[in-house]
Amino acid sequence: MSSEKEPLVRLEGISKSFGKAVALHEMDLTISPGEFVTFLGPSGCGKSTTLRILGGFEKPDTGRIILSGEDVTALPPERRHINMVFQDYALFPHMTVAQNMSFGLELKGMSKSAIKARLDELMAFLELTPFADRYPSQLSGGQRQRVALARALAPDPDLLLLDEPLGALDAKLRHQVQLELKSIQRRTHKAFFFVTHDQEEALTMSDRIVVMNAGRIEQDGTPEDLYFRPASRFVAEFVGDTNLIEGEIRGVDRASGQVRFDWQGIPLTGLAASGAPQEGQKMAASLRLENLSLHAEQPGTANAVRGRITERVFLGSRSAVDIALEDAPGQTLRVFTDVATLSQHGDAPVWVSWDADAMAILPH
Amino acid sequence: MTNTASVGAKRGAPAVTRPPASEDATRWGRLVAWKPYQALTGLIFASPRRQFLLLGIIPLIWLITQHLGPMLQMFQVSLLDAYPVAPGKETHFTLDNYGTFFTESVFQKPFFRTIIYSASLTFVTLLITYPVAYYLARYVKRENQLALLLLVLIPFWTGEIVRTYAIMILLGNNGAVNIALQWLGLIDRPIPFMFTGFSVSVGLIYLTALYMLLPLYSALEKLPRNFTEAAADLGAGPWTRFRRITLPLSLEGIGSGCTLVFLISTGYYGTPVLLGGPNSTVFAQTIAGFFHVAGDKWPTGAAFAVIMFVAALVLSGIFTRLIAFLRKGDS
Amino acid sequence: MSRSHRVVLSVVFWAFVVYLFVPLALMILMGFKDSKFIGFPIKSYTLDWYIGVFGDTELMVTFLYSVVIAVASTLVSVLMGTWLAVLLAGRAFVGRAAVYALMILPALVPGVISAIAFRIYARQLGIEPGMFAIIWAHAVHNVPFVTLVVMARLTTLPKSMGEAARDLGADPFVTFTRITLPYLKPALMGASIFCLLLSFDDFVRSFFLGSYQPTLPVLIFAKLRSGMSPEINAISAVALVLTAVLGVWAERSSRRMNKDT
Repeated sequence: MSSEKEPLVRLEGISKSFGKAVALHEMDLTISPGEFVTFLGPSGCGKSTTLRILGGFEKPDTGRIILSGEDVTALPPERRHINMVFQDYALFPHMTVAQNMSFGLELKGMSKSAIKARLDELMAFLELTPFADRYPSQLSGGQRQRVALARALAPDPDLLLLDEPLGALDAKLRHQVQLELKSIQRRTHKAFFFVTHDQEEALTMSDRIVVMNAGRIEQDGTPEDLYFRPASRFVAEFVGDTNLIEGEIRGVDRASGQVRFDWQGIPLTGLAASGAPQEGQKMAASLRLENLSLHAEQPGTANAVRGRITERVFLGSRSAVDIALEDAPGQTLRVFTDVATLSQHGDAPVWVSWDADAMAILPH
Repeated sequence: MTNTASVGAKRGAPAVTRPPASEDATRWGRLVAWKPYQALTGLIFASPRRQFLLLGIIPLIWLITQHLGPMLQMFQVSLLDAYPVAPGKETHFTLDNYGTFFTESVFQKPFFRTIIYSASLTFVTLLITYPVAYYLARYVKRENQLALLLLVLIPFWTGEIVRTYAIMILLGNNGAVNIALQWLGLIDRPIPFMFTGFSVSVGLIYLTALYMLLPLYSALEKLPRNFTEAAADLGAGPWTRFRRITLPLSLEGIGSGCTLVFLISTGYYGTPVLLGGPNSTVFAQTIAGFFHVAGDKWPTGAAFAVIMFVAALVLSGIFTRLIAFLRKGDS
Repeated sequence: MSRSHRVVLSVVFWAFVVYLFVPLALMILMGFKDSKFIGFPIKSYTLDWYIGVFGDTELMVTFLYSVVIAVASTLVSVLMGTWLAVLLAGRAFVGRAAVYALMILPALVPGVISAIAFRIYARQLGIEPGMFAIIWAHAVHNVPFVTLVVMARLTTLPKSMGEAARDLGADPFVTFTRITLPYLKPALMGASIFCLLLSFDDFVRSFFLGSYQPTLPVLIFAKLRSGMSPEINAISAVALVLTAVLGVWAERSSRRMNKDT
């Protein structure tokens, strides 16, 4: 039944409402085997609902869930080959680490020796062996997180769901665990479905990111796609720091995809990120902070505007500066720059420049 | 996408898809793989709705037949002219049992005495336990609160009769109080505390203080300390702070404590029998009297019990409303 | 807050403690009096009354009778009370408020009325007064206490715990027995001991539903009606110590277990 083209998971027209609040609008989505997919969005966007529908904890109002070619829409959680790492880990407090991990294996009807072998293998893999007989209350936050992961991996699920599992960790540990998680995913070749509201986390770990907003998918693509070619204003704003400017299309060059753009009377050139912009349309454009550079003299790039530095924020390896534009009064651009460059500029006017392909034109 | 895939899978009861358990599986593994278990759980857990109905049906039957049943039966018997039904005879609906109460003042006296006793001793219990709860919740360090609470709880683990007896020893003519007063030279001959309304009240307060203390304590304990500190900051004196801040915010605890104590104190039977005398008969004794003698008047007793229960509920209902009104007015 | 308030309030508190304990202490003390006559002063002391308690066969039978009733009624109360708690703490349903009200009803009916209602109902059902009738009345009366204690514990069980079990392949039954029940253990312990004590201490229901064999409180009551004696003091004191020790132990152990998990 499952040909090679068959995706691991296929969501078809999934909708879900809670009372009058619509959580998901007719969502379609596929996940391939071995893929690290991240669902990214603000709270209440429907990402957790999607996860809970996949896990079987919520029933969709419409649509089907196909797992490895089988319709599992009506199946309760215990009958799906999907396991989940919960946000609060949900470790069973009265069971040791080993007992927590063997819980799912016992219910699969595995023999005691097979369970032991699987536990030994997993504990070695996740470096949990010394903690086998500890209770969850005797573990640190990072250790609990690993136990939760081990417990979910133990029954060898087709798909692993992770519900913001790093939320409870502190910033330093969090970063370390992100890399660990990514490496575990690579080595196990399992499909991970990761839910987070943290865009940095999503960019670090994912093969593919699905950005959700108000129950709909805003964009589905690689981290690079999302960052440099956002499909919407929402994505541009939600993923990374950006300058959003609003203007009007003055002309479109179909061959190169370049768009002439008028911003407060300043002629600019950019690339259309999606759709087919028409002349005269009101559009927005996204300018990434790191794609802008500062010059003392007018540079020869496609786009350049003049202004004065009004604010400097030291960020360690680099600085962010706000520049009030002289050509467009009332407008400011934020630019990343290194400390050396910044020290060259005093209170004198500076030029901000960027290339045409660094400017993504978005539907308004 | 091929539309042949998974056509067979339909919504509704999922098929049992568990693989057979290994021979050496654990207890739980063998259980869930056991065919009869699968058949049974398949039936019960087929839908959340069915699961809920099956979970709920037995407790519901229990509630109706065991919790509600006795009260309904009592009400029904209170409307009969004779019970138990003599063989070959028919019973008739009547209101006479209720009429008896309203026409014969012999019965009204203990009724009103019970209401007055219960209400006033509820108030006295409140006065006694409020400072105790206040001290415990506001002045004792949090880590010591539990130990002290546990200490106060100890006497309440023991029963009505044992504690009533303790009061008898305290208040008797040769009891501790009288002996102490004589020894101090305050009295010449013992004061007859026993077999009066006084001894009954002391006994009932002794029995019910806990039901007042616990709600008061939990209400006062929840009250943030910085409320009163803020009020003190604003120049409110101790009395003003108590009247304007602490008291209104503990009204909920006062309400539930008083309701509990009132309801419970109307129901004591053993204590008034042991501590009371002919002039302090309470309604519980009147009601019980109808059930004692053979060939008794159960319907009248049932009617009196209904009257007592309804009166107690109505009074505590009014009181709860009053507290709710006060709380709204103050916040 | 001022020092004088603290002093006044602490005096009131300790006076209250004295008021609670002194009558019981005097009762225990009186059991040592070397005289048949109850009252102060106590001139000489004896252990005979307390020794007598343990040599009295009738008393021992009564004690065992009370214990059997307490254990049996507790089993029923804990089963039904827990069942109701699971129902009430679970998903919302139409009429939940009514179910809650019915659940709590036996705890709110004043003692004598409750006893009489049970007496009438027992006759209607053809249950003769005696052990079974008392067990039944105690069981029903104690259910609300179990439900309240268990519900309080259930609401602290994170929803994700049950979901995690389901996710790992447990059906609702396995989830309940392997996750929920162990989590409820301290509450079930506490509720069981509370029920045992409620039943063991109960007078009014045992009195109206009993036959010739009395329970311990009924026996003490009957003896008291025919006059006070140090023998009663000794019996009461033993009952008091037993119940207090059991109560304190249960309270402490359930608190400790609550802390652990």
